[in-house]
Amino acid sequence: MADLGKLALAIALILAAYSIFANVYGARRNSPDFLASARHAIWAMCAMVTIAMAALWNGLLTSDFTLDYVASHSSTTLPTIYKITSLWGGQEGSLLFWSWLLTIFTSIAAFQNRRRNPEIAPYALAVMAVVAIFFLAMLNFVTRPFSPISPVPVEGADLNPLLQNYWMAIHPPSLYTGYVSSTAPFAFGAAALITGKLDDAWIRATRRWAIFSWFFLTLGNLFGARWAYEVLGWGGYWAWDPVENAAFMPWLVMTAYLHSVMIQERKDMLKVWNLALIGLAFALTIFGTFLTRSGVISSVHSFTQSGLGPYFLSFLIVVVIAYTALLIFRSGVLRSPAEIESYLSREAAFLFNNLVLVGIAFAVFWGTIFPVLSEAVRGVKITVGPPFFNKVNGPLALGLIFLMGVGPLIAWRRSTPANLARNFAIPLILGIATGAIVFLEGVRQWYALSGFSLAAFVAGTIIVEFARGIGARRHLAGETAARATANLIAKNNRRYGGYIIHVGVIVAFAGIIGSAFFKIDVKKSVRAGESFAVGPYSIHYLKLEESADAHIESAIAQVEVTRGDEEVALMTPGRVFYKRPQQPATKVAIRSTPLSDLYVVLAGFDEDTNTATFEVFLTPLVFWLWAGGLLMAIGTVIVMWPNVRERAAIAAALGRTAEDQIATEPAPGGQ
Amino acid sequence: MRVRPRFLIGTALIVAVIAYLIVSAVSSTSEYFLTVSEVNSRQAELAGQPLRIAGRVKSGPIGWDPATLTLSFEIVPIPDPTNAKDGAASADASIAKVSASEPLSYHVICAGQPKPDMFAVGRDVIVEGRLGKDGVITATQVMTSCPSKYRRKQAQ
Repeated sequence: MADLGKLALAIALILAAYSIFANVYGARRNSPDFLASARHAIWAMCAMVTIAMAALWNGLLTSDFTLDYVASHSSTTLPTIYKITSLWGGQEGSLLFWSWLLTIFTSIAAFQNRRRNPEIAPYALAVMAVVAIFFLAMLNFVTRPFSPISPVPVEGADLNPLLQNYWMAIHPPSLYTGYVSSTAPFAFGAAALITGKLDDAWIRATRRWAIFSWFFLTLGNLFGARWAYEVLGWGGYWAWDPVENAAFMPWLVMTAYLHSVMIQERKDMLKVWNLALIGLAFALTIFGTFLTRSGVISSVHSFTQSGLGPYFLSFLIVVVIAYTALLIFRSGVLRSPAEIESYLSREAAFLFNNLVLVGIAFAVFWGTIFPVLSEAVRGVKITVGPPFFNKVNGPLALGLIFLMGVGPLIAWRRSTPANLARNFAIPLILGIATGAIVFLEGVRQWYALSGFSLAAFVAGTIIVEFARGIGARRHLAGETAARATANLIAKNNRRYGGYIIHVGVIVAFAGIIGSAFFKIDVKKSVRAGESFAVGPYSIHYLKLEESADAHIESAIAQVEVTRGDEEVALMTPGRVFYKRPQQPATKVAIRSTPLSDLYVVLAGFDEDTNTATFEVFLTPLVFWLWAGGLLMAIGTVIVMWPNVRERAAIAAALGRTAEDQIATEPAPGGQ
Repeated sequence: MRVRPRFLIGTALIVAVIAYLIVSAVSSTSEYFLTVSEVNSRQAELAGQPLRIAGRVKSGPIGWDPATLTLSFEIVPIPDPTNAKDGAASADASIAKVSASEPLSYHVICAGQPKPDMFAVGRDVIVEGRLGKDGVITATQVMTSCPSKYRRKQAQ
């Protein structure tokens, strides 16, 4: 099987190279045969990488320790589910997984565009194949997943215990899906630049791809945060570690891109900006991979030095230079005739929202690479930690939330005072009222006050929008409120799905404020039978129970939580010792309610004195971070949902143009 | 995109605000990130400053008082990976080597924090805190570096 995998990867590399030639040659010669041949090569390439994936999975599932990768990342006692996920638990496997996703997405793009976008699609597919060549070359020559090991060990080194977790099983695939699918819009943007077909065909061809990518970047970041929260045992979910930043930056830029393409579709503005953004988003995914594999930046949970850094950096530099050169080369053609007329316009709100998003991304970038910069410039490594990121991004996030409220309601081109009053009176009142209530509740931090007020302001704008749409439907079509709501969303899924995403963002934002500003942290060593107070709760340590199986040993503390005289919960925080890598891990006990999470960590224990050390966090509102994330996901699914009208329009357009072979997606209705 | 001059003003304003936030936050939150050897060579000027120090936990007794959550240990320089080809598998051996040739070490006291999961002799750690005039590092936090997900022990 391993030899088959090796062979398949070699063939895949050749097929990728051939598909570039066939696509470019076919497009230049206008030869449908060559283009068809290129498509087939792409599909065959995908099949080959699939075979390699199957071969590695087979090795992991059968504990084939002749393979270095299997011996290093699995063991016979590892639960089957983690044998499967250990495919992306290590360097070689995760790059193979990346390549697999890339070839799948390239295949889908080839299928989607077999009749559509004949001018740019061949070049876009060629660009995707260039990216595939890079990854396949790495797998063939630099970091081989099927290297043998000698002597063959009897037992594997096992998967890192921190990765033996549900969230870690789904976090990397989500993030990788988000990363890799950004290749499609990037490739179509590059193809538009290469061919000079700079209308918004490339944006329309990849709108779903961009949203798809954003969806998975969002989930990937949230799953990663959730994993950190449940597994790492420090009571938080985000530490501005370089690894986290690497995943966050593409998300920010992609968010900016999804907003600014609306301006191009509607107003034919920001063409250069959109092309630059998608190039930046893609470059940041490669940069993130470089960052996490190179060891250039020290991170507490980094992937450490692996020698891949120079390859990724070279690839990144080539991509950035080539793409920038294309942008400069085409900049004359890209000048748009339209211009922004007023600060009080939707165009301006979107432009500023883009600036702030990219500004946050830049601040994160700057803070992440600061140690390297300072060492190069001043000869001494200086780091900036979480306080830096919070200080910079805190105010910027407030600005962003404000623009999020303004953007969707303000008029295009130019707003009149009457328009502003009509749209923003209710949201403003809601925001101020919320601020007043929170103030009266005793909150004095200016950031929390303004954050909650702004969140309520945004909620107000969305309520106004929904109320208007529902009201109009009830009035015109005589529908019931529930039916009107359902129809409103179904018929304008992009717009109202977008609002639901916005609700998710402000709900998550409220959760972040609550957990960032009002967290209580108590550390205490107690004997069995003793108790201590955390906020309104009393934590009563009952006893310690120890157990063991072939894979792990565990010590679980039983803790009774009471509030006043009422028993609230029996919690079981513990410590787990993984036998194979000889590594301890924390098993956090969390009791989550909408008001606050009680988070209990057994930080240590001493059997001789019957003492256990606990760290307990009482974190208000953190529940809403996850709830908001779920809402964002639901909203995104609504946005991506195929719209019946849109599909009919595509079918009509395809029927109309099938004969002269210039099928394109129709111009979308709505936003 | 053509933007009227007054939009350039708005744009410039936003860019300036972002730049100001970054610059001011850098100056108020930055810490030196040093290795144990670097700390040694500039000890005088570093005293009292917020530092992050990368080092390795020296073999020998580790003090841990669960009642006060006080951890005390010695850190030594992390050996250069190009010299120590044995890597993580025999961290103790390389420590012994380093300790023999270079008796450089600092005493670290960290109070009020639980002992990190992976804390052990021979583990690479990052210590956040201040260096006292007496050469003792008073840490606010001790973080253990993950012994790399992406690199296995070099057995051969």
